Amino acid sequence: MKSISLYRDNGTWLCRVHPFTKLMYIASAILVPLLIGSLWAYAVFIALDVIILLSGKSLKRARGLVIFSLTIILTIFIIRGLFDEDNITPLFSIGPAVFYVEGLMKALHTGCVIINMLLSFSILVLTSKPEDIADEMERHGFSPRFSYVISSVFSIIPQMMSTMSTITDAQKSRGMETEGSLSKRMKAFIPLITPVVTSSLINTRERAIALEVRGFSSAKKRTFLNPWKKHRGDAAMTIIMLITVIATAIWRLATWLL
Amino acid sequence: MAFIEIENLKYRYPKAERLALDGISLSIEKGSFVGIIGRNGAGKSTLASAIIGLVPQFYKGAYGGKVSVAGMDAATVPVGELSRKVGLIFQNPFNQLSGAKDNVYEETCFGMQNFGIEPDEMRRRADETLKMLGIYDFRDRNPFDLSGGQMQRVAIASILVLHPEVIILDEPTSQLDPAGSDEVFKAVERLTEEGITVIMIEQKIDKIAEYSDRMILLDDGKLIADGTPDEVLSREGLDAYGIIPPASVRISKALGYKDGQGFYPATADKAVKLLSGKIQFKQHIEDDKTTQSSERISVQNLSFHYHEGLDILHDFSLSLDGRTTAIIGQNGAGKTTLAKLLKGLLKPSEGKILLDGNDISSSTAASLAGSIGYVFQNPDDQIFKPKVIDEVMFGPLNIGMNDEEAKESAMEALSMVNLASASERNPYDLDLHERKLVALASVIAMDPDVIILDEPTIAQDDSGKQLIQKIIRGLRDNDKLVISILHDMDLVAASFERVIAMASGTIIADGTPREVFSNEDVLRKAGLELPHITMLAKKLSSGSVVLSDEEFLGLVGS
Repeated sequence: MKSISLYRDNGTWLCRVHPFTKLMYIASAILVPLLIGSLWAYAVFIALDVIILLSGKSLKRARGLVIFSLTIILTIFIIRGLFDEDNITPLFSIGPAVFYVEGLMKALHTGCVIINMLLSFSILVLTSKPEDIADEMERHGFSPRFSYVISSVFSIIPQMMSTMSTITDAQKSRGMETEGSLSKRMKAFIPLITPVVTSSLINTRERAIALEVRGFSSAKKRTFLNPWKKHRGDAAMTIIMLITVIATAIWRLATWLL
Repeated sequence: MAFIEIENLKYRYPKAERLALDGISLSIEKGSFVGIIGRNGAGKSTLASAIIGLVPQFYKGAYGGKVSVAGMDAATVPVGELSRKVGLIFQNPFNQLSGAKDNVYEETCFGMQNFGIEPDEMRRRADETLKMLGIYDFRDRNPFDLSGGQMQRVAIASILVLHPEVIILDEPTSQLDPAGSDEVFKAVERLTEEGITVIMIEQKIDKIAEYSDRMILLDDGKLIADGTPDEVLSREGLDAYGIIPPASVRISKALGYKDGQGFYPATADKAVKLLSGKIQFKQHIEDDKTTQSSERISVQNLSFHYHEGLDILHDFSLSLDGRTTAIIGQNGAGKTTLAKLLKGLLKPSEGKILLDGNDISSSTAASLAGSIGYVFQNPDDQIFKPKVIDEVMFGPLNIGMNDEEAKESAMEALSMVNLASASERNPYDLDLHERKLVALASVIAMDPDVIILDEPTIAQDDSGKQLIQKIIRGLRDNDKLVISILHDMDLVAASFERVIAMASGTIIADGTPREVFSNEDVLRKAGLELPHITMLAKKLSSGSVVLSDEEFLGLVGS
C-alpha cells in the first residue's frame, strides 16, 4: 500500500527543520511580497524558495508541481494579455490577436504569486512527514482528533482507491460495462460509488471501535514515542521571519498613512 | 468474586425485535482460555462487546443485568478506561490498524501514547511484545504492506502492549490463510503461558477445541452449555445449534469409545490416545476412478506480469474439464491472478485462454459475464441495491435477460442459497454471511457455464459451510464447471473432484484430493494442512488417505 504523501526522507537538513519553521516560512513568503507589492519582492522569494529546495535536494520533485501549474499560468497570460480592461499599450500581435503590456504585467504578477506559493508550500509538503506535522500540532495544543484526521488521510485514501478497483472488477464481472459511451459511464456510476460509500462506512465504524479500545478517547495526557529533535536555528529563524513580516507590515502601514 | 462476572445479562440492539443476549450468567477466572462457539447470530460477538463495554456504551439499545470486569461496571465505566484491563481483537486485521502510523513500531505504540505511558517504557514493551509475536523484524515496515496473518499479529501486539489482564479475540483467524491462522493461534498460545486470560470466539471448532480449557456454547442469545471442550462437544444434538463436532468426537462416537469421564475426546491427540490399539484399519482405499469429461477451458502458454520483467505466471498451461476444481496454495502463489485472467479481469501478456474452443483472452470481463461468473470474497464490494431481489437481478439484466426472466432466475438463485424469503429485504439488514450468499446468488442468477468462487466459506459457520457444499453439488449436477480458490481443506475433501496446488506461479500438484493430500512434500510447499478427518486417520496410522467419516468408518469396520 503506497502512501499518497509526497514526503520522502532524503536525509538532508531540510527534513530535520521543524514543520512550524516551514509554516512560518510559508507565511512570510506569502505575506512579505504581498505587502511590498512589487515584482522584485516575488523574484527574491522565488529565488529563496529555489535555493532552499536545491540545498534540500528536493527541487526536482517540486518541478512536477510547477509544471502542473504552468497550464493555468499560460491561460492567465493569454486572457489578461488579450482582454484585460486596463489594456492600452500593444506589445506584439500574433495574427489578429493583439497582446497588451498592462495585461501581461498583471498576468506576470499573478504567475509569480502562484509559483511562489507552490514552491514555498512544497518545501513543507516534500520534506516534512505528515505524521510529524500532526504530532507537533497535537503537542502544541491541537485536538488529537484533528491530528488523527491529518495523518490518517494519507493511508486511508489509498485504501479507498484499492477498494474502488475491486468494486469495479466485481461489477464488471456481473456484466456491467464501465468503458464506452458517456451514457454507459453514467449508468456505471451508482453501482460503483454505492459500495465504496457503504464499505467505508462499515470500515470507519470498525476502526472507530479499534481506536476506542486503544484508549483514543482517554482523558490522560498523551505521551509521544519520538520527541522532536530540534534543528539548530529553528527558533531563531522563526523569530527572524516573524520580525520581517511585522516590519514589512509596519512599513506598509507607514507608507499609506504618511 | 471472579475477574469477570456476568449476571442475567439481557441486551437488544436498537431497532431489533429479538434479544441478542438473553439471560446470560457466567463468571470467568483469571488465567483461563475460554472458547466461545455457536452459529452466526448466536450472540458471541455481542457478548464480547458487552464485556468491554461497547455494548451498551457504543451500540446503545436496551440493556439489563450486570457485567463487571475487575470490579468495574462495564455499562458505565468508559470503554477507554475498561480497555486498560480488557483488550479486544476482531476479524478484519485491516480495520484495526489506526491508519495514522506508517510503520509497525509506531502503530504498536499508538495505544500507549493515548494512555500517557513514558517513551522509555513504551519502547521496552513494544520491543518485548513484537519479539514475542515474531514480528520484530517487520518493525520498520508499513503495516498496510503486511500479509493478513502478520497484520493480525500487529493488531494483537498493539493491544498486548497495554498490558490488559484479559484479551478477547473475535474470530481473529476467519480472514486468514492456514499459515496466517496458525501464526495467530501460536501467538495466542503464548499469551496463556504469560498468564493472560484469553476469551476466543471461533468457528473453527477443531482448532478451538485444541486450545481452550473451557468452552461456552451460545445459541439465540442464550447460554446452552459451559464446560470442558470434551464435555460440551460430547453433547447430543449439537447440530440443532449449527455446530459440527470435531472429527475426533464424531469418529469416537460412531465407534462408541468414551474416555474415563464418559466424554468423547475433542482433540485429535486425545483421540489417538483413546483409540490407538483398539482399532485396526482393514485395507487400503482403491484409487479414485477419475471421470474426466471433455475439455471446457484450455489455458495455453499464458504469461502475465504486473511489472515488466516480474512474471507472476510464466508459460502457464492448464486444461479444465467439467470436474469441480479447487485451486489451493499460499497467499502470493498466483491463484487469484489465474482466476482473474480466466475471468478477463486481467489481460495476459502472452498466451491464450480458450473457452469451449473460442479464444477469450481479449474479451472484457463484462462481455464474459454470461459465460464465466466470479464471486468475490467480500460481498460489500458489490452490493448497491436497497433490495436483495434487485441486487440479484442486476447481473441477469446486464446480460440481456428481460425483467421477467431476470426475476425468475434471481428467485431461483435465491432459493438455492436459502434466501428466497429475504428477497424484499435490504441487503444491509442481513448479516455478513447472508450478504455473502446474496453475492453468490447474484452470480448464479446469470446462469454462467463456469463459476469461480473466491474463498466461499469465509464468514460461514458449520451450517453455512454445509449449504455451500450443497450449492456446489447442485451446480455440478447442472453441468456447471465450479472452480474455487480455497484455504478450507475440509471443503476441498468434501466437495472437489480435482485439486490444483500452486506455489510461486507454477502448478506443483494436480490430481484428485486423495492424490494431492498424500503428497506431504507438496503440502509443505503450498503451506497447507490436511483436512481434519484425514489428519486424524493419519495419526492413527491408517495407511491410506481418508477423506470422509464414511471412508474412515468403512476402513475400521464396525
